[in-house]
Amino acid sequence: MRYAVGVDVGSTQTKALLLDESGTIVARSLIDTGAYLVRAAERSLEAALAEAGVSRNDVGYAIGTGYGRFKVAFGDDQVTEISCHAKGAWSLFPKTRTVIDIGGQDTKAIKVSDRGEVLDFAMNDKCAAGSGRFLSNSAEALGLDVSEIGARSLDAKTPVRLSTVCTIFVETDILSYLASGKKTEDILAGVHGAIGARTIALVRRVGAEPEITFTGGVARNVGMVRAVQEKLGLEVNVSPDSHYTGALGAAVFALERMTAAAQVLA
Amino acid sequence: MTEHHGAPDHDMTGHHEAPPRESPPAAARRAPVETAKAEPVHYQGRVHELQKELMNAYYAELTDIAKGRSPKKNAHLLIAGNPVELVRAFDMVPVFPEVNVLQIAARKASLPLIQKAEELGYAVDNCAYVKADVGLYLSGYEAPYGTVPKADLLLCNYVGCNVYLNWFEHLAELTGAPAVNIDIPFIRSADGEPSPQDIAYVVKQLEELIGLLERTTGTTLDWKKLQRTVELSAYVGEMWAEIKALTQLRPAPYDAYFDSVTMMAVLYCLRGTEEAARFFETAVADLKERAALGKGPLPEERFRVVIEGPPPWPFLRVFRDMFTRWGAVAVASTYSTVGGIWEFGFRHDPQRPLESIARHMLAQNLCNRTFLQRYDQMARYVDEWKADAIVIHSVKSCRLFSAGQGDMREYFAREREVPTLLIESDLEDPRYFSQAQLRNRIDAFFEALTQRRITAAAAAGGVA
Amino acid sequence: MTLTTFAPLPVVEEYREIVEDRGYPTVREWKRRTGRAAVGSFPVYSPVEITHAAGMLPVGLFGAGNQIEMAHADSRFQSFICSIVKSTLELAFVDKLAPFDALLFHSICDPARNLASVMARNFPERRAIYVHLPQNMASSGAAEYYAYELRRVAAELGAVSGRVPSDEDVLESIVAFNAMRSRLRDLYALRAERPANLSTAELYTLARMATFTDPLESEPLLADSLRSATTRDARPKDRIRVVVVGSFCEQPPLELIAGIEESGCYILDDDFLLGWRLFRTDVPVDGDPYLALARAYLDGSLHASTKHDLRVPRAAGLVASARANRADAVIFLGAKFCEPGLFDYALYRRALEQEGIPHLFLEFEEKMWMYDRIRTEVETFVESMLFV
Repeated sequence: MRYAVGVDVGSTQTKALLLDESGTIVARSLIDTGAYLVRAAERSLEAALAEAGVSRNDVGYAIGTGYGRFKVAFGDDQVTEISCHAKGAWSLFPKTRTVIDIGGQDTKAIKVSDRGEVLDFAMNDKCAAGSGRFLSNSAEALGLDVSEIGARSLDAKTPVRLSTVCTIFVETDILSYLASGKKTEDILAGVHGAIGARTIALVRRVGAEPEITFTGGVARNVGMVRAVQEKLGLEVNVSPDSHYTGALGAAVFALERMTAAAQVLA
Repeated sequence: MTEHHGAPDHDMTGHHEAPPRESPPAAARRAPVETAKAEPVHYQGRVHELQKELMNAYYAELTDIAKGRSPKKNAHLLIAGNPVELVRAFDMVPVFPEVNVLQIAARKASLPLIQKAEELGYAVDNCAYVKADVGLYLSGYEAPYGTVPKADLLLCNYVGCNVYLNWFEHLAELTGAPAVNIDIPFIRSADGEPSPQDIAYVVKQLEELIGLLERTTGTTLDWKKLQRTVELSAYVGEMWAEIKALTQLRPAPYDAYFDSVTMMAVLYCLRGTEEAARFFETAVADLKERAALGKGPLPEERFRVVIEGPPPWPFLRVFRDMFTRWGAVAVASTYSTVGGIWEFGFRHDPQRPLESIARHMLAQNLCNRTFLQRYDQMARYVDEWKADAIVIHSVKSCRLFSAGQGDMREYFAREREVPTLLIESDLEDPRYFSQAQLRNRIDAFFEALTQRRITAAAAAGGVA
Repeated sequence: MTLTTFAPLPVVEEYREIVEDRGYPTVREWKRRTGRAAVGSFPVYSPVEITHAAGMLPVGLFGAGNQIEMAHADSRFQSFICSIVKSTLELAFVDKLAPFDALLFHSICDPARNLASVMARNFPERRAIYVHLPQNMASSGAAEYYAYELRRVAAELGAVSGRVPSDEDVLESIVAFNAMRSRLRDLYALRAERPANLSTAELYTLARMATFTDPLESEPLLADSLRSATTRDARPKDRIRVVVVGSFCEQPPLELIAGIEESGCYILDDDFLLGWRLFRTDVPVDGDPYLALARAYLDGSLHASTKHDLRVPRAAGLVASARANRADAVIFLGAKFCEPGLFDYALYRRALEQEGIPHLFLEFEEKMWMYDRIRTEVETFVESMLFV
């Protein structure tokens, strides 16, 4: 058995994912990226191989994606995470026509074909960067862990309106709201609403055609999912594997190439 | 506008990456693609060498004036649709702050000048061209390529760009030099033509300008010399139009964005002179020869793109390489029309010099035409220059160019179904250039275009 | 928060909510009542007399304030573009510009110019008219040309209302606006003279009311308010005297203006809603009305960041205002990303430092919602002025 590997080297986390020849996911790994990208890619691969009980020699094709895609030293090729998120989302939900990905640095909306190919994409402006960071800064200002803020925001009765979507100023705003006696959940609903609105503006650039799949780590945040659905007026798909979408897409590309090469040889 | 030989293109931490490959399954069955090999592509040619010579001579003359070694008077003026013919007819030397500061940016020396202006109170959000020029003035006008003379006249041609007005107003206050605004009414007609009143108003101001130039130089206008200058502009315009038409060929013999800037330096700084005429004679011959040989700027032309927006001067080479990797060549660009649009037939007329200068300022340059007329111009490029895609390079400094480019993207991507990429950085301020982010978006765009081709070929029943 | 020692002004009370209502209730009411059309004017200055003369109601368009959330316009204009450009487009996307039969845009800055195009493309049913404002004040051809431009605009507006105004119509509208602006000048003079009698928040509300009301109807309201404010018996508080500059296009929220006052400032002069009171004196009503309007713009108007008059530096105008009003300081209250304003700040700062006039730089956005940051800055500035 040969295996296809996708490695997604992101700014905070690195993910690796293994597919067997039938396209079944056989292993995933997730580690903190740290300062050495080459090493992070290496470690994530080793972790995934160990989980599957597979040796390095059984890897048929490997593709790197994410900002550190050129650091995947063992990779046979690199593909941007935009193509990989499209492919990965399509692989998880084959009726996907629009992909939303909120990342630590970039937010993107991707229009995909019925084969998972990118037809169009839009990404945030430079000054509106860092939605993921916006969330984590907000959590920090409220003394919460970023993993709990989404659920907390669902309890809001009267969400506040933030006067900024600036990652730098959000903390001052939050402190002012706290000082004026606003409830944590109402502030959090405001935070999620602000990111949701900004995300929807991006989705409008490519057109919000269903089905819509929400990928990336932030898709695990239930408050963000609700904010996006409310602003869109549409349901969105979220997979338990959402944060592996980029690695999965890369692995699907790797599998396609592995198969094609095998056909040529045969 | 000389291209800087900067550091080789590195990704985030300096590793070299594999060249892009076509996506599967076609790639696996194809011979390896022949782009972006290990050795860097050399973009320069004969035209580039000659340009360097002329620009060096131009800056030597400016330095002579600045140092008091030449008695010639100078006028500072702006690139978009200007009356340089009048300045030349008075034997004055035109100085272009935009060209001065972009050259500094291309030499990666703009940031200290920008910061110098910001210390004075200029905002982070102000146009960085202006800030760099103010910084240059505060540095005694000493630039890496020579010395810029203080203006004998600040001749603000208000052609579309409102920042132009601010710019020269500030220079007037800072330097104490005399200043005049030539008020060019923005095009308000649907057909893009100026009205007779528009033309009469501009001609009237040009006549007043002649009086001012006579007072500045202490000479009277030699009408014959003006006619000859205008004639030379018409001649150069004719050759420039011929050069522009060449990129309709496959492959395009030169890159209409990255290589055009080399020729634009001469077109703008030396228009109306015999030297410019000789330069363009050489350029036409050289590029036609390349076209006849079927030679393009890259080993293989895989994508033909229209590029909108000014280039990121501090990272021009790095930016160009991002397209080269994909075999993408610009076949047309809007930036190459900021100083004038000649490819659709306009020529200066030596029989009616003032009226034709007025027409050029009013309607025959990108900046004084509406945003929607720019859409039309780009649509013509896509159709007549047979482009595959549009790349919009949105620069923060120049809002004349950039404000509303999201709508432009919407129009081309959705209504005309032309694949369109919107990316952003800046033309002068290196702080707005994020290499990894730009690279990511450009790569994703060409990955998608590649994939679309493969799918289309498969649908057409062809075996890739 | 502040103790009112005298009766509120009824007109201010009546209009306090309406000025920020993007349902434009009074505009709709006027249209119902008269059966006529309304035209939105983007800042800064608009030749409103001509709209009025063509039988329509000129209405100032000042973006969406902090009233709506951006959902569409962000995808058309980048994040480094000022809020008013985007929020005005957003209003169109959410159909809030329905009361307007046409829109006027002017050559004030690069984003506003491109907005005219984007608006025209996305909403072709509502005519977008672009007005070229002259920038060569010294040319002998400028007045005649601008008069021609105004006649061209009159023809376009006439096509909207179905009635191209006659010269008499224009003269009548000039008379109506002269009267309204004269009252505004009186109110500004009263505030400069006795700032305790009329707060800037009140004055702003009155001036803003005049941007969406027929001048024939707003003039008596202003006159009435002037009378009431003049007769107030007000004791001056311990505040510093400031001139505010920089908010000539995008408008700061009313709460922010009030916040600056409450933080310890008397505002003696400002450039809020500048275009609606641009002329220093009445526009002459003899002769060609278009030429009269053109000359008033070229030679008889206040300093504006979007009017580039090389004959007199704008910074000199600001210094003169500060001196004439015996101001302790200047507050530059600039809209975020507003390039004309931010450019002027560099020259203002230079001139104010040369003249030894202290100043405070503040940045606002119309969509802001909380003012703690700015108030703290103003309070600190006031303390530094009062306790030295």
